[in-house]
Amino acid sequence: MLTFAIRRVLGMIPTLLLISLVCFVVIQLQPGSFIDQYLEDPRVTRETVQSITRQLGLDQPLWVQYLTWIKGIVTQGDFGYSFVNGRPVSSLIWERLGWTVFLALLTLLVSWAVAIPLGIYTALNRHGVGATVMNFLGYVSLATPDFLVALLLIALVLGTGGTNVGGLFSPEFIDAPWSWARVADLLAHLWIPMIAIGLEGVASLMRQMRASVLDVINQDYVRTARSKGLSGRAVLWRHAVRNAINPLISLAGLSLPALISGTIIASIVLNLPTIGPFLYDSLLNKDQYVAMTLLLFSAVLLLVGNLLADLALAWADPRIRFE
Amino acid sequence: MSSSVLKRSAFVLLSLALAGGALAAPKKVTGYGSLGVVNGKAGGTYTLVLGDSPQSLNYYGVIDNNLGLVAQQMFDGLVEFNYATYKIEPALAESWTISPDGKVYTFKLRQGVKWSDGQDFNADDVVFTYKNIIMNPEARAGDAGNFKLDGKAIEVRKVDATTVQFTLPRAAPAFLLQQRYFIMPQHKLAKFSQDGGAKAAEINTAWPSNVAPSEVVGTGPFKLTGYTTGQKVTLAKNTNYWKVDAAGTKLPYLNTLEFLVIRDPQAQVAQFLAGNLDQLNISGAQFPDLKQKEVAGAPFKVIRSTALFGSPPFVAYNFDAKDAVLSKLFSDVRFRRAMQGAVNRERIIDTVYNGLAGLPGHGVAPANKAFYTNTTRQLGTFDLAATNKALDALGLTRKNAAGVRLLSNGRPLEFDLTYGTDSSVYPAMATILQSDFAKVGVKVNLKGILSSKLLSTGQSGDWEMILHAFGDQPDPELRRPIWQPGGALYYWHRTLQPAQDGGAPNMARMASWEKDIYTIFNQAAVTPSASARKALYTRWQLLFAQNLPVTPIAKPENIGAVNNKFGNYVYNLGVIPGYNPVPLIFQK
Repeated sequence: MLTFAIRRVLGMIPTLLLISLVCFVVIQLQPGSFIDQYLEDPRVTRETVQSITRQLGLDQPLWVQYLTWIKGIVTQGDFGYSFVNGRPVSSLIWERLGWTVFLALLTLLVSWAVAIPLGIYTALNRHGVGATVMNFLGYVSLATPDFLVALLLIALVLGTGGTNVGGLFSPEFIDAPWSWARVADLLAHLWIPMIAIGLEGVASLMRQMRASVLDVINQDYVRTARSKGLSGRAVLWRHAVRNAINPLISLAGLSLPALISGTIIASIVLNLPTIGPFLYDSLLNKDQYVAMTLLLFSAVLLLVGNLLADLALAWADPRIRFE
Repeated sequence: MSSSVLKRSAFVLLSLALAGGALAAPKKVTGYGSLGVVNGKAGGTYTLVLGDSPQSLNYYGVIDNNLGLVAQQMFDGLVEFNYATYKIEPALAESWTISPDGKVYTFKLRQGVKWSDGQDFNADDVVFTYKNIIMNPEARAGDAGNFKLDGKAIEVRKVDATTVQFTLPRAAPAFLLQQRYFIMPQHKLAKFSQDGGAKAAEINTAWPSNVAPSEVVGTGPFKLTGYTTGQKVTLAKNTNYWKVDAAGTKLPYLNTLEFLVIRDPQAQVAQFLAGNLDQLNISGAQFPDLKQKEVAGAPFKVIRSTALFGSPPFVAYNFDAKDAVLSKLFSDVRFRRAMQGAVNRERIIDTVYNGLAGLPGHGVAPANKAFYTNTTRQLGTFDLAATNKALDALGLTRKNAAGVRLLSNGRPLEFDLTYGTDSSVYPAMATILQSDFAKVGVKVNLKGILSSKLLSTGQSGDWEMILHAFGDQPDPELRRPIWQPGGALYYWHRTLQPAQDGGAPNMARMASWEKDIYTIFNQAAVTPSASARKALYTRWQLLFAQNLPVTPIAKPENIGAVNNKFGNYVYNLGVIPGYNPVPLIFQK
């Protein structure tokens, strides 16, 4: 298994190089340049624009810009610097990573915890009233964009006289040291993003789980287990669910890149300090090294997610081997 | 003895006592009764909003409005505006003299001013800031271009510890107004400067957004105490600040000033309604909703103010339109005057601005007491019959089956109106213009683009009629690139612009009134006498009103909403160096 993992990791290197080149080309193909916003600003003289272009190395040929960037990453772990912030890209991403990972993992956990039982329930009680209602709600939440849910929740809170209408903390707690009061404040704010971002995930996971369970419960081995006289509960959990969950493990692996780009609009509407809006801004401003690094990072997450999913699948499903 | 004399002698005694009491000379902020300013009390936290995280904390290192809003609270310039009259007043410079030929400006600095870390402020800081930062061509938000007149450099030098002198190659009466540049601390920034042995461009790397707050030192009312990326910037009262109120209480009143980072305008309003923001500048479109809530008893006030700053929208016709017949028509003043009669200003003010706008001036805001000339009569009235008659008189009498007038070449009089689609005012305004122009046989096709592209589209010349807005300024000299024919932003007549930056404009193509305006601006730029300048700019406004290089539409009011907990709110448009009434705000 170790050799398998190492082989896979080594295999990622050429893929990532290719992806970095594609990212660079895509950013360059985008019309305009970082300098444009200065050209349009009546306060800035043409001389200043020229000196900024020179300072940023934007007067260099494109291939030089690309090779310098790659060389920095490989030799020094330096991902370039942000034109907008005048700071190394890695430190800027690092600053925003904490809350992003926290929110993403939490929504992932919560949506799994809610969706899996619901999926099993709706599969086993296909024609019951409860399942029909659940399915209907699932369709509605799949169809409603997350930012709209966020706006509706904000309006709801405002309408009832609440003050937690976005962000993760009340103003006085944003830079306060950790305390129970701060945790309570965080929890009071957290439910809105949880629902807004998690709802869509719950709905789609629930549908997936329902489909796989339906698939599995009619299989021979489930019938065999039943005929051996195992209790219904044991059949369900040990045989049906364990097999039905396989496709969801792959799905979980694929959802890692959503860390970066999954919730841009909801993050803007809900004012969450995550990486999504940062990527959006860097693309708008053509802050090229930030955008390229984030896209590359997203690709790495996808590859890592796939690897983890494969490892998890192998653990969950004895039929899968590494040969 | 009358009571006013009594008061005056008491005042004299008091100022004598103050002057004798200490070497430090704080500035007394008085005389704003007309703005509703009263003596406040110390304490409290005031929360404002930023549209995004500041990109750095070095005002001259990045061009960033969000940083500007924060920097305005941490730094001061040599001079500043009076909040009511927009006249220039002493700030870090306590007084100044201008030589009779208008070339030498000598600033006497305020004594006893300290930086927020307790170090003394002196002439070295001023000279350092101008030489190494403002005049540094590599500083991204520096202003080196403004320190060359006719290609010759302005010189700055220290006379003694409290005196700084600027020597100009020629007279430039607007120079004083410009010296609102924030002064930076030499003892903190020298290591990033050329004086400190660094490269010229290195000044841009000073004070990045993850700098230790104690490094960011200023003379302003507040100092940085915390910055949480993407969420909040916190400032605390600078106890060394050099202003006091009428009762002698030290300013600012507030203990803490917070800026929450909220990107979405709707989310900003939601946070304001929830009481998490204490003040928010809003648009005319958001006004009715908030005003309704105020009337229903919400704990805030929505305040309208006719401020000098802010952008009045105008329509311009492209004198150099690609279609030669249109170009000739647009260059004809009779056409522009005729079409002004089809601009329904009243309706636009009522429906687009919800009544929150007034009639515009011509290049100068009506609130500008120093320069505004009343040109309301030249705006004319909305009169379609008169417009029809005037267009007939131009020879545009034939019409096609659809009722559109025909040009001399037989084609219909039809052109594009370029406007910003993502604005709360332009789309509605464009529709009103289109429908009224249609009534006089002029067909307008709406062409929407992003508002941020209006200026570049204008300058590209690829348009026929455009709806756009430029800001008003206290002194027309500061808007010379816009209003002087041949200026870099005089884009409705681009063929006048010089072939090279700083070259002479194309005088041969100027209409005679354009030549007059050109000369007026050149004269006013070097005329030291205030009354003579005012007379020159009065002539310019009248020429503008009669010849309509652009047709101004309205002057929007500025609207702010503020929590009732706070007193002394004076509308603050945004980043206007030298205009910062926040130190007067207090918690009731």
